[in-house]
Amino acid sequence: MALMKKGLSAAVKATLLVTAMLVTACTHTVQVDGEYPQPVGDQYPLTVGFYLSDDFSRFTYHEDSEDRDEWNISTGPAQRNLFATVLGSMFTEAIPLTSYPQDLPENVELVIVPEVRELQFTMPRETRVNIFEVWIKYDMHAYDNQGAQVANWVITAYGKTPTAFLKSQEAALAQAIDIALRDAGATLYTGFDRVPELQALVASKQRAISMQEQPAAEAGDTTD
Amino acid sequence: MVKAFVVILAAAVSGCTTVVIDEYHRTPGELAEGDSVVILGRRHSSEYETEPDLIDCVGRSLHNPDRGVRIIPEQHFVDALYPWFEPRTAPLHLKSLDRLMQNEKVRERLEAYGIKYIVWIDGSTETTASAGSIGCSIGTGGAGCFGFGTWDKESDYEAAVWDFRDQELSGKLAADAKGTSYMPAIVVPIPLIARVQKNACKGMAAQLEQFLLPEQETKS
Repeated sequence: MALMKKGLSAAVKATLLVTAMLVTACTHTVQVDGEYPQPVGDQYPLTVGFYLSDDFSRFTYHEDSEDRDEWNISTGPAQRNLFATVLGSMFTEAIPLTSYPQDLPENVELVIVPEVRELQFTMPRETRVNIFEVWIKYDMHAYDNQGAQVANWVITAYGKTPTAFLKSQEAALAQAIDIALRDAGATLYTGFDRVPELQALVASKQRAISMQEQPAAEAGDTTD
Repeated sequence: MVKAFVVILAAAVSGCTTVVIDEYHRTPGELAEGDSVVILGRRHSSEYETEPDLIDCVGRSLHNPDRGVRIIPEQHFVDALYPWFEPRTAPLHLKSLDRLMQNEKVRERLEAYGIKYIVWIDGSTETTASAGSIGCSIGTGGAGCFGFGTWDKESDYEAAVWDFRDQELSGKLAADAKGTSYMPAIVVPIPLIARVQKNACKGMAAQLEQFLLPEQETKS
């Protein structure tokens, strides 16, 4: 009887092991870790704080639908690097915030908080085009130093990569995500002053700076 | 013995490729000492993607500092000018490049690299047809594959050479390559691969070299 129980337990274990192996065989994991360059160009004349939450920095997209295998795509570390680099260099002064809205430095004029709204991807066999495509949508929130909302805008990023011989689906998708993140950074930098509220803020700051500089220049002229 | 024969046969015989190059020169190329060239892939189409390895191949084939051809690697250049040469932001026309040059920091960076020409390559290599089948099996006596497979590949690339300093189109060239690969399998699959993309790359690199160094070509 004990021998039978032992045999049954071994059979159950083996079945569980095989099932686990079959299930994990259909699970794809993608980890994107990227370093991104600083944008080349003028800085916006603002002192900005940016808050990259834990949810944002550890973001993992999980998909387990009937039509597809199971996918776990971690973009958190890469998007944290991207936003920290781009936001950190596109303003005259940028302060990374470890918490928000607590402990806000006094000199901060604007606080930017990004959130991931959506991530989508397509595989070559689904579109019959030999490319992997990725779309990422970010909700961008901007607040003043009192916590009042200044602007909300959306950044849509797109990345694609061709299929390549001996390249895994995971590697190809990671590459497409990396391109999409670069696209997000490009849109963040080039599209910042196309948001009407932010355009007005930048313009009023530029006016204030030029008015401050004008009397100083005039004073310089009179002393000469 | 059989293995060695198979390896030699595979190395000696490969699929055939035909390459056709068309070119149009507006102005002859002129590279002075310290000038550099950057080769970039167009990535704005939603239906295909100019392969980074093709751009890398053309760049490596052309790079020859001893002859005065200094090629800046694509990724290095795109990173150094981020975010102005990303698929969404890259200038599609010379007028857009002119607008981009109004950005002082971008202009300074480009001038620091000594860029004379920007070569844009647009196109892709695709499998146009395939036929046949190969079956493999494993048994107690061993493993083996039997069958025959064939596929056609077609490369279609166009290169536009922009003179960055004079802000004009210096020339255009197109490379079309076609080839058929075969894979007979008698126990062991023997791939006879037509290197379509590689041959398109070599053809384009040779024509670009003639364009960039016209005097040296005529001398030799």
